[in-house]
Amino acid sequence: MADPGSQAGSEYPADPRPLIRGGDILILLLAAGLVGASFGAFWGPRGEGETALVTVDRSVIRELSLDQDGVFEIEGRIGLSTVMVDGGRVRFLDSPCPGRYCVHSGWLHRSGEVAACLPNGIVVEVLGGEREFDAINL
Amino acid sequence: MSASGQIGVDHARAACGRDDRLVAGFAALAIAIHILEAAFPSPLPGVKPGLANVITLIVYLRHGLRLAVWVAAMRVLVGSLLVGTFLSPTFLLSVTGAVAALSALALVGTIGGQRIGPVGLSVVSSLAHMSGQISVAYLLFIPHPALLKLVPVLLTAALLFGVVSGLIAASVLQILRRREAAR
Repeated sequence: MADPGSQAGSEYPADPRPLIRGGDILILLLAAGLVGASFGAFWGPRGEGETALVTVDRSVIRELSLDQDGVFEIEGRIGLSTVMVDGGRVRFLDSPCPGRYCVHSGWLHRSGEVAACLPNGIVVEVLGGEREFDAINL
Repeated sequence: MSASGQIGVDHARAACGRDDRLVAGFAALAIAIHILEAAFPSPLPGVKPGLANVITLIVYLRHGLRLAVWVAAMRVLVGSLLVGTFLSPTFLLSVTGAVAALSALALVGTIGGQRIGPVGLSVVSSLAHMSGQISVAYLLFIPHPALLKLVPVLLTAALLFGVVSGLIAASVLQILRRREAAR
């Protein structure tokens, strides 16, 4: 019933404008760029750990830089534990405890990761960068 | 709802209640859409199509910012009363979203003029709506980095739904224009 061409003088142009205009495409491109950038900004690489904090019976013994490789002996409650730093990672090499749970914790490199030798009272925690969660409860 | 049928009727132009009836009619439509959407479960908290914004956009493009603000305000207020979220955190988020979306609409609509159509405006206001809500949710309710991990997903959803809403609004505006041209 409608003949758009017959009413050129109406408030709206008789010729129906396209659904998507030039400015819209520009906005769509900008918006897509923004949304894409948000993936990079919020899902980007997490901060790797920078140092390893070694505590014995809750008092800080030393802070090992993860940049400097080496093997360190830590005096604990029941003996010497060996902690190794290698290529930005840290782990227990050996410990005088029965279960060796600390050794089995393996390499730690992300901020917030922890290995503990409870019998010897030694805790190694990676610090620096952005902390990750160890649990999320919704 | 019948007030929406009065659009463009000349004798109504003289009556001082014309704007009121336009607002009432459009707000009723927006509220109905708002409540229908609230009834559907959402795959992700905070994500819903926001089709009620189609109404805001149409009112903005046909009747200007003032009426669009009125319609959005009525929708947020009455919608929250009917859904049962009045003065809850959801309500505050709703208000924030509406304010952000209308601000973006006014800003880009003024700068862009005729070069930007409903789709561009819809995308801009949708992203502003979502960004405003995320900011308030993060600053006031959940100041936890986990929320920020959701930002890309939420913005992607806002972009997609913004395009869809914009296309719907553009089609409706075309239909309305043709109807008026035929009259």
